[in-house]
Amino acid sequence: MAPDERELVRRCLARDERAYRELVRSYQGPVVNLAWRITGSADDAAEVAQETFIRVLRSLASYDPERPLRSWIFKIASNLSLDVIRRRKRRPVSFEDLSNEDGPTIEAVDPGPLPDEGMRLEWASERFEALLADMPEHYRVILHLRYREELPYDEIAETMGIPLGTVKVRLHRAHEILRRKLTARGTTT
Amino acid sequence: MKSNLTCDACERELVAYADGALHAAVAKVMEQHLAACARCRTSLELHRAIARRLATLPGIPVPAGLENRVIHAVNAPERAKAFWGRLGAASLAASFAATIGGLVFWPTIAKEWGLPDPASALARALDTGVEGLVAIPKRIALDLTFYGPIARQILRSMEGLAAIPHAVFVSLRSPEAQATGLVLLTLGVALYLVLRPSRRQEGGIGHACLAL
Repeated sequence: MAPDERELVRRCLARDERAYRELVRSYQGPVVNLAWRITGSADDAAEVAQETFIRVLRSLASYDPERPLRSWIFKIASNLSLDVIRRRKRRPVSFEDLSNEDGPTIEAVDPGPLPDEGMRLEWASERFEALLADMPEHYRVILHLRYREELPYDEIAETMGIPLGTVKVRLHRAHEILRRKLTARGTTT
Repeated sequence: MKSNLTCDACERELVAYADGALHAAVAKVMEQHLAACARCRTSLELHRAIARRLATLPGIPVPAGLENRVIHAVNAPERAKAFWGRLGAASLAASFAATIGGLVFWPTIAKEWGLPDPASALARALDTGVEGLVAIPKRIALDLTFYGPIARQILRSMEGLAAIPHAVFVSLRSPEAQATGLVLLTLGVALYLVLRPSRRQEGGIGHACLAL
């Protein structure tokens, strides 16, 4: 953890309200967007974000300062978001349950005629969002953490509570799903 | 020239390669393959384009007032604690003031309303309390005086009873006593066998003895 974050945590533990505000301000954007990416609802995301910060600030004493603060916060936010989905679907879902990678098997994709495919990715935002929303939540989360929050693989593993190898496999599968859907729908043209 | 890496194997590592998450040695092998394979190179470009697209996806704004709601909720238990602390202190102060006021003004109020004199009431209460406290040890002492000698006698008797088995064992140490004991025991058993009443010996000696 960075020294300034360590100091921020120390001040929060000393019940410094300005430190509370500083911590919330630093992470509120990423947490809201992570929750939104998982739940797909702005209202749920707002609730999850609020509950995340309340839990973070109340349980800072149990936080291990050797671990990255953002991973810890994202982990709480992810679990709360999954709880929302679980309640919605009325079936259990957790990262740990999915860690054995028994999700949908991705068939090998024939790259086909790809010479200039990658260069002409003029995907409409709504269409791309719709494709993303169709994906299982654990793929959405991993893509968000990697490309939006730019977390390295080891931090993603820590956040999601899965092995490093599973992070790699899951990212590969997520890319494959997107690529298959994009090529199938002809959205790349 | 292509490396030994197959396109399938390259494809599996392509995302990690694009993310810079591969070991340097593996990345080098990938580079060699990519340099020679246009198909995998195109695939890599597509993965990179997807990554760029994901990184630039629009997000949602932070809900208004989130920060204040969080701070308010986190501080709520503190506020409740402070409230109960203040309430407790106020109750203590009020009770103290009431006690002092009672002590100071009670004689006047008692006189005014015809209530018993506080000094004599206090003296009576103290007297009753002290009497009650003294009565308990007094009762215990009396009980001890009465039951003590009886308990002592019972204890002595039990000590005397305990001496009987000891005496028996001591007397049985001599061979004469052992022989006598054995004869008496045999006689006792024989006598029992002869005299015992049973259904098969209706009218026997046993029944006759019982009839006596």
